Order: sequence, then structure tokens, then C-alpha cells
Amino acid sequence: MKRRIVSLVLALLMMTVSLFTVTSCAGGQVAGELSTFEFDTETPVTITFYHTMGESLRAVLDKYIAKFNELYPNITVEHKQVGGYDDVREQIKTEITVGDQPNIAYCYPDHVALYNLAQAVQTLDTLIAAENVVTRADGTTETLGLTQEQIDNFIDGYYEEGKAFGDGKMYTLPMSKSTEVLYYNKTFFKENNLAVPTTWDELEQTCKKILEIDPECIPLGYDSEANWFITMCEQLGTPYTSATGEHFLFDNEENHAFVTKFRDWYNNRYVTTQELSGGYTSALFTKSPAEVGNCYMCIGSSAGANHQIPKNDDGSFKFEVGIASIPQANAANPKVISQGPSLCIFKKANAQEVLASWLFVKYLTTTVDFQAEFGMTSGYVPVLENVTDNAVYAEELANADGYEGLPLLATQVCLEQMDAYYTSPAFNGSSTARDEVGKLMQICMTTTESDVAAAIKKAFADAVAECKYQAGE
Amino acid sequence: MVDSKKSWKAWLYLSPAIVLLLIFTVWPIFNTIRMAFLENYNFYGGMNGVTFKFGLGNFMQVVTYKNFVTCLTNTLLLCVLTVPISTLLALVIAVCLNAIKPFQRLLQTIFFLPYVTNSIAIGMVFAAMFNMIGTAYGTQNELIVTSGIINNVIEFFGGDRINWINTGSTKLANMIVLVIYIVWNALPFKILVLLGGLQSVNKQYYEAAKVDGTSRLRTFTRITVPLLSPMITYVVITGFIGGFKEYSSIVGVFGDDMGPTGTNKPLNTMVGYIYDSLRNNLPGRASAAALILFAIIFVVTMLNLYISKKNTHY
Amino acid sequence: MTQQSIQTMSDRDMQKVNVRQRIVKIIVQVLLYAFLIVMALIIVFPFYFMIISSVKELAEYKLPVQTLWPNKIVLYNYVEAFNTAHLGRLFMNTLYVGVVSTVLSLVITVLTAFAFARLEFKGKNAMFAALLATMMIPGELFTITNYQTVSNFLGLKTLGMQMGSAALKDMGDWKNSFTVLIVPFLVSVFYIYLLRQNFLQIPNELYLAAKVDGTSDIKYLWKVMIPLALPTLISITILKMMGAWNSYMWPLLVANDEAHNLITNGLRNAFTTTAGDVNIPVQMAAVAIVSAPLFLVFIFLRKYIMKGVSRSGIKG
Repeated sequence: MKRRIVSLVLALLMMTVSLFTVTSCAGGQVAGELSTFEFDTETPVTITFYHTMGESLRAVLDKYIAKFNELYPNITVEHKQVGGYDDVREQIKTEITVGDQPNIAYCYPDHVALYNLAQAVQTLDTLIAAENVVTRADGTTETLGLTQEQIDNFIDGYYEEGKAFGDGKMYTLPMSKSTEVLYYNKTFFKENNLAVPTTWDELEQTCKKILEIDPECIPLGYDSEANWFITMCEQLGTPYTSATGEHFLFDNEENHAFVTKFRDWYNNRYVTTQELSGGYTSALFTKSPAEVGNCYMCIGSSAGANHQIPKNDDGSFKFEVGIASIPQANAANPKVISQGPSLCIFKKANAQEVLASWLFVKYLTTTVDFQAEFGMTSGYVPVLENVTDNAVYAEELANADGYEGLPLLATQVCLEQMDAYYTSPAFNGSSTARDEVGKLMQICMTTTESDVAAAIKKAFADAVAECKYQAGE
Repeated sequence: MVDSKKSWKAWLYLSPAIVLLLIFTVWPIFNTIRMAFLENYNFYGGMNGVTFKFGLGNFMQVVTYKNFVTCLTNTLLLCVLTVPISTLLALVIAVCLNAIKPFQRLLQTIFFLPYVTNSIAIGMVFAAMFNMIGTAYGTQNELIVTSGIINNVIEFFGGDRINWINTGSTKLANMIVLVIYIVWNALPFKILVLLGGLQSVNKQYYEAAKVDGTSRLRTFTRITVPLLSPMITYVVITGFIGGFKEYSSIVGVFGDDMGPTGTNKPLNTMVGYIYDSLRNNLPGRASAAALILFAIIFVVTMLNLYISKKNTHY
Repeated sequence: MTQQSIQTMSDRDMQKVNVRQRIVKIIVQVLLYAFLIVMALIIVFPFYFMIISSVKELAEYKLPVQTLWPNKIVLYNYVEAFNTAHLGRLFMNTLYVGVVSTVLSLVITVLTAFAFARLEFKGKNAMFAALLATMMIPGELFTITNYQTVSNFLGLKTLGMQMGSAALKDMGDWKNSFTVLIVPFLVSVFYIYLLRQNFLQIPNELYLAAKVDGTSDIKYLWKVMIPLALPTLISITILKMMGAWNSYMWPLLVANDEAHNLITNGLRNAFTTTAGDVNIPVQMAAVAIVSAPLFLVFIFLRKYIMKGVSRSGIKG
């Protein structure tokens, strides 16, 4: 009897609280289409921007926000570093549920696919096309949208990434990019008359030769197993994923074949990877060649070039570094991955916030000076073709050497391979696919099963099943 | 008889706790149950006017998942291994501590040290102790630079180095590392509680035993353990509850991968599974898994209470 | 045999037994100390390893056989670990959250535990059982619902937005404040349980006597219960401080601006943005920095804990 009364009271209390919270759920309503394309330059408007910039980059950003405010004094930009990329995603994912997301955020394509489940991301097509004229505070004017010239000035592969969502719509503009490049020990290559490999077959031969010269080394370090897999699919033209229909297509014979080949490489100690060696392989690359287990080549992010500088404690260099494009399967149709953050704009009930956000995003992505300064500070590649219009940048770029100048040397290589960039399809689950193929590479390379072919086949099937399960299928 | 004035006062004292609990504990439980029974529920669905079917779909998805059994057995295994080991060890240490005079305080302080640590941070220390630095582990072409301090000790005594946590390590080795870490981490609390219990035991019992000429072992099993049984029950129950929620110590040692590099979360636990589902925006599935975990913990706790009730002496 | 001789024999026997007893006692003591010292060394070793590793050069750390004492002691790992995060601010924030939430939490816990231990009211046992049951639920699952709650407390934010009232809106949105880091975790069923058990050990006669003397509940609590339960309260204090020190997921979600950042988040953020090799000495230095304040707290409160434990003499 006593118990029943208590449970009744508890139940009643619970219901009261739940009633309150039901009303609170109504907070997360999604704003509809933009109601206006006329930006109001008078009324103050505040926009928030989530990113992952460290201190030095925030300083650059602040400098250009001040410049932006000279043009649009009524726009206040509040920006905030939210940990790493995953933290930004987690934060926004939760904020969307109560309608509290920022106006602008650093994003990767799969983040946008996730936010899009809530239809929270503003499509940019109408904004890009808008021909409304905005008068800025200094008296000059600009069209709200992008001019054809501005569009053409974006590096194509980067610009196209904004449309990788399977519905043909544009969701993001590129902010700063990176890709994979091949770092090699130029001193060693010269001494031993080695040619820089341009295809995977040549790479295999090079590894073999290097191992003959120095049996205590690992010729190649490849940082990202996932990139390796996805890039191979792209270069060979074999299926990986699709944004529409059946998503996870990577379990096929061709892919089994290249993974099996790389397994042999690993077992011959031609190669190691970030996960398998327990850290970025730049650590192995920058070792002195006299040490055990150093690498003579390293495939890693162009944005990590400053970690590839083989500097001694006394400031001298262990060797000179050269940078080249990564090896290709088909030299006539080169493919390299495009990475690094883009910017997306979130829908808001107040159209002026969206327009202000758009103006700011447009400012960051199309201003040559900002892109150049940001690129120089971060080591990321600017997204504009004419970034060399910035004199300082052009000069630094021209003088880059294989020692301290590595970041800019990497940028040089990146700008030279402008036409080779690809992005893989983005959908809810594309990041799972990425994680899974990365793990798949590791499992296949290290498996100790006696029937390797069967083990690899099983690993592929497991990975697809896991992808589907995580996607809620 | 309950006098109404006092009852009113009790509710007054309880009110801050009740209000906060209702908002931050009871309602989330309610909401969890709701989400668990809405098939494929996700956070955005409600916003777009999508409705979810009521049913057991989430539970089915959880139990039919191929790695679910792994998560469950890992969780159970860790509980079954760490709780008895740490309780027994804590009991022995507490009894020993209670039997000495000089340096008792110093030793007591030392045994308490792991209590005041961050489990993720110290997990990193354990990982470093067992970690091999080098390349290409698990193949015939290993180039080991440092095999880790623990392996150094093993090699010093003439043994072969063991791959504890790196690529190619066996699950047995992984589990040993985890058990060592979890026991190490669990000891201080248990020692504190048990020693507190021992010190409050009436000395007369022991004097009586001494006069009777009872042997030490007999004194231990017939007097110490029974008198300590409420404390033992307490540390066992909290140990099991903590054990079933094991997650952060594994993250500490192995990182988010929940296992050695190149594997597919072989050491994942129930809580890890719940986090994974939340990360994948599948709160329905996460809620279902949480309810299953709750059911398991509930049954085990009741079992513990039942057994201890039979054996508890006051 | 005469009475006399029996007496002498048993005296001699007693002496023999005494000698043997003393020898056994010494051996036992030696064994006890040996065992305890070995265990203590095992317990301490990870800390020792952390500290020596944090003052080693990377090259020395990577020697095939690790040194048990650094050949060369360097401190730059600490500088590197400290500089990558703004630790001063993080320390202050964490301290503030820790202290405020500990004090408030203690008040609530004492009141609740007192009610459960000493007062009689309808449904007491059922409610206590219900409370204990919540302990078994994996706390992680509360996070997402609680996030919604603090973002829009009781729907006040939506209401404020609809009515155009900024004050109401702010009342509903607790994010990026110290409130949100403190309030949701003020009540811990675990602490209530712990303290109630302790209160129960204090004989009811004391309470009834106090009632007869006309002592108020609060006074009785303050004068009798709290001093007797001090060890438990100190345990709770330490646990609570540790909670603030170690909390990670929640602050990341609800208060990740610089003004409210807590230590674990700050450190983690500082170290994720650094690319490159896992530099274990620097990592160990960071772990040492994070661990140090808790150790200090412990050293200051240790005396009370040890005294308290031995003093809780009354058993229920």
C-alpha cells in the first residue's frame, strides 16, 4: 500500500516534469527557405562561427574580421575554437536538436551530411546566384552572389566538393585545403641515384632497392591507411562508396587485390603506417638514417610539412627533403585526395543572419590576402588560383627550399596538381566508411591467419556489415 | 507510527535532492525508455515531423549485432576477474595494515594514492609501461626500439618479451593489462572501506579469540570476515556496478580504438557500445542497450544482496 | 604430584610458549612488512614511472632498456606540456567549479542522508530503493537529455524567444556558465548512500536523547552527526573534487568557451591540435601536471581521513 502511493506520487511528478520538457522540444524548429536577399546594412546583427583554429590562426582571423567590419560595421562576428573537427561536429549535432547551432562552422563533407538529416544547412545555390547589390560602409558595392570570375578563381576540385552530396546542390565553400604529398630524402636519393617514383610499381621497385642499401630501414611511411585505400579506389576507378542508392560498394575483387599487394609490402617491410607504427610516420622520416627503423619516403598531409623537417637540436639539418606528387596507378589520369575544412552556413529564422553569414564566408573564401596569409600561417593550401597575386606569398613560394621552406614547397606541389583533386561522396555514414576502410587496411596487413585470402575476404565483408550497421540500416 | 509533522520535515530536507533528481535523473530515465521503444529514433526525426514506430526494433538491433556478444563478454569478464581479485587483495592488505603499528600511516597513504587520479590520464601511463616502441609489430620483420619497461623487467628475469598492447597482441595479453590496471585503480577505495571497518571492529572479539587460543586463520575466517561482511558486500556491489560500466580505463590504455591497433574494437564494452550508438546519431539503439545493461546490473546486484543477506552477520 | 610442582611446570611451559609466541610474532611481522612493502612498491611504480619518464629526453626514453633513473634530467617536457595549454585559467576554473559544487553538494547530501537515516516518513524504503536503482543506470545516457534540458530549461528559452523576452531566454539557456557545470551534478545517489550508511551506524539512542533534550534536528546534525561522519564527508569532498577535475564529456558539450573551460578539456584540446609523433615524455609531463593538484588536496586532507577512519568507532 505504502509502495503504491509512493510510486503514484513519483509517476505524477515525472509526468509534470515531462510535460515541461515536451514543450522544450519544440525549440528545435528548422527555419525554411530564405525570405529575402536584401541585406540590411543598418540593423546590427551578430553571427557565430565555430572552428578549430589555434592561437596564431585566430590572430589572422581577428585581423581580417576587423577589415571585414570596416565594410560591414553592423555585423558582429563572434568566433570560437571548439576543439578538433570531431568536437565541432559533436557540439553542433547536439545544438541542432534545440535550434541553437552557430551561423557558420568549419566542416568536412560528412559533417554536412549529418547536419542535413535535420535539414539544418543552408543551400548556397540561391545565394551564389543572387544578383542583389549590397552597398558597403566605404561606399563601394558588391553583388550579393558570386561573380563568374570569382567562381572560376576557385580551384575546381575544391569548389566541386561543396556539391558532393548526391543531390546536386551546393552546401559548402572551401576554406583552406590540404592533400597528400610524397616527402622523400633528397640527399639519400641523390647519393644512390634513385629516381622519385611516380607510379605504384615504381614505388615498389624503389622500396626494394632502398632496403638493399639499408636493411635496417622501412623505406616508406604512409600516414593515413584510409586515404591510401580511398585514393587507390579513385585511381583505379574501382567502386568505394556512393552518395545515393547502395552506399558501401568497396567490397570487390579489385580492391581485395590491391590490399593483398600492400599486405605483401608490409610483410616485406617496405612500408609502415601511422597506426601500425604508433604515430605519424613523419617521426620515422625525420630520424637520422643511421638510426634503426627510419623511413626514406613518407606520404603524408601537405599541412603537416613542418613536421617533416629533419632538424637536429642544434639547428642543423639531417638531410634535404624533396616533395613530389604521390604515385599514381594511371599517370594519364592522376588523382589526389582533397582534405581540409570547408565552411557551411546554418539556416536561421532571421534571414539577415544568414545573409550576414554568407557575406562573411564569401569574404574569407574569396579574399586573396586573407587566403595567402592564412595559408602562410597554417601550412594549408589556399583555395584560390590567383593567390600568388599576393606579392609576399608569391615571393615566399618561389624561395621555398627543402629545409625550413618545406610547408611552402608542399603548397607549391599542391598548386601544381590543381586538376587532380577528388573528393569522395558525402552522406550520413561516409565517415564510418572512411574509418572502416582504414581499419580494414590494418587488419588485412597484419592478419596472422594461415589462409590470407579468406581472412581478407572476411575482413571486407565485416567492414561493409559494420558500415551498414552503424548507418542504422 | 509516523507523526505528520516529522514527515513534513523529512520532505523538506529531501526537497532539494528530489527536485534536482527529477530534472536531471528521473526525466532522462523516462526519456531513455521512450527513445528505446521508438524504432530507429534519432534526434532530428522529431524536428522534421518524422514519426517513429513503437516496438522492439532497437532491442533486436542491439542483440543481433555481431559484436554485441563481444561487448557483453568483455564487460562480464572484466567484472568477474577484477571484482574478486581486487576485493580479496584489498582485504588481505587491509588486514595486514591493521596488524602492524610502525609505518602504518605511511603505507596506508601509499595504498590510497591511486584513488586520487584521473583514470584516462593514468591509463596513458600504464599504456606507456606496456608499450613497445618500434615498427612493424607482429611480423617477422620487427624492429623493436624499446620493448617497454615491463618487458625490460621480464627480460631481466630471463623471460621473453610479450606483446602486451601493440598490433598483433593477443586478447589474453590485453585483458591481463586491463585487469592489472583496473585492480590497481580499484584497490584504494576498497582498502579504505575495509580498513575503516576493521578498525571499528570491537577489539574484545579478538581478545576473546586470543584467550580461547583460536588460530589466526580461524580468527580471520570466523571473526574478521563475518564482522566485515557489510563492508565487503558494499565494496563488492559497488565494484560490480562500476565494473559493468567499465569504459574509461580501456580508453585510457587503448584509446578510442578500444583495442590494439589494427583490430576492430575487440575490447569494447557495453558502455562503449552505447557511446558508439550515440555518436552515430542512433539514440534509440543506445537507449535500448542502456536498458539491457541496467537489467543485467539490477539482476547481479539483487543476487549479491540476496547472497550477502544469507551470510551477513552483525 | 604436589600442588607446588604443577605450578612450576606450568610456569616453565608458559615461558616456553611465550618465547615461541614471540618468535612467531616477529616472523609474522617481518612477513607482513615484506608483503606490504612489495605491494606498496607495485602501487607506487606507475607514478614513479610517470615522473622519471617526464624528465627524460626523448632519445633516452627510447633506449632499448629503459633507465630506472634518468641519465640526464630535463624539465622542458613540462614547459612544453604547460605552454601548449593556458593552464592557469584552466586551474582556476576547475577549482571554482570544484569548490562550489562540493560545498553545495555536501549540504544537499547531508540533509537527504539525514532524512533517510533518522526521520520516518511514508514510503521511505521504497524511495530509497528507487534511488539506489538509479545508480545502476549508465550515467552516459543522461547526458543527451540533460543537454536538452539545460539548453532550454523548462522551456523557458522557447518561451522567451516567443515573447521576445531576453531575460526569460537567458534564464532558459544555461550553457557557457558555471551553473551548468555545477547544478546538474549536485545530487549524487552514491554519496547519499554512503553517508546514510554512516549515519545509520550512529545509534538512534543518541538522537532520541537529543530529542528529549529538545535539541533541534539541525543542531543535532551539526553537533553530533556531522562530526561522527566526518571521514565519509571528507571522502565525498575528495570524490567531488575529483569529479570536477576529471569531468570531460559534459563540459565539452555545454561550456566549451575559454572563460569556462575545465582542465581536462583544455589539456585535451591543446594536445590534439599538435600533430606529430607521440612524445611520451611530454605526455607523461602533462599527466603529471594534471595529477599534481589532486595529490596536493589529498596531502592536505590525508590527516583528517586517516584520523576519521580510525575514529568511526561506533558500529551499528
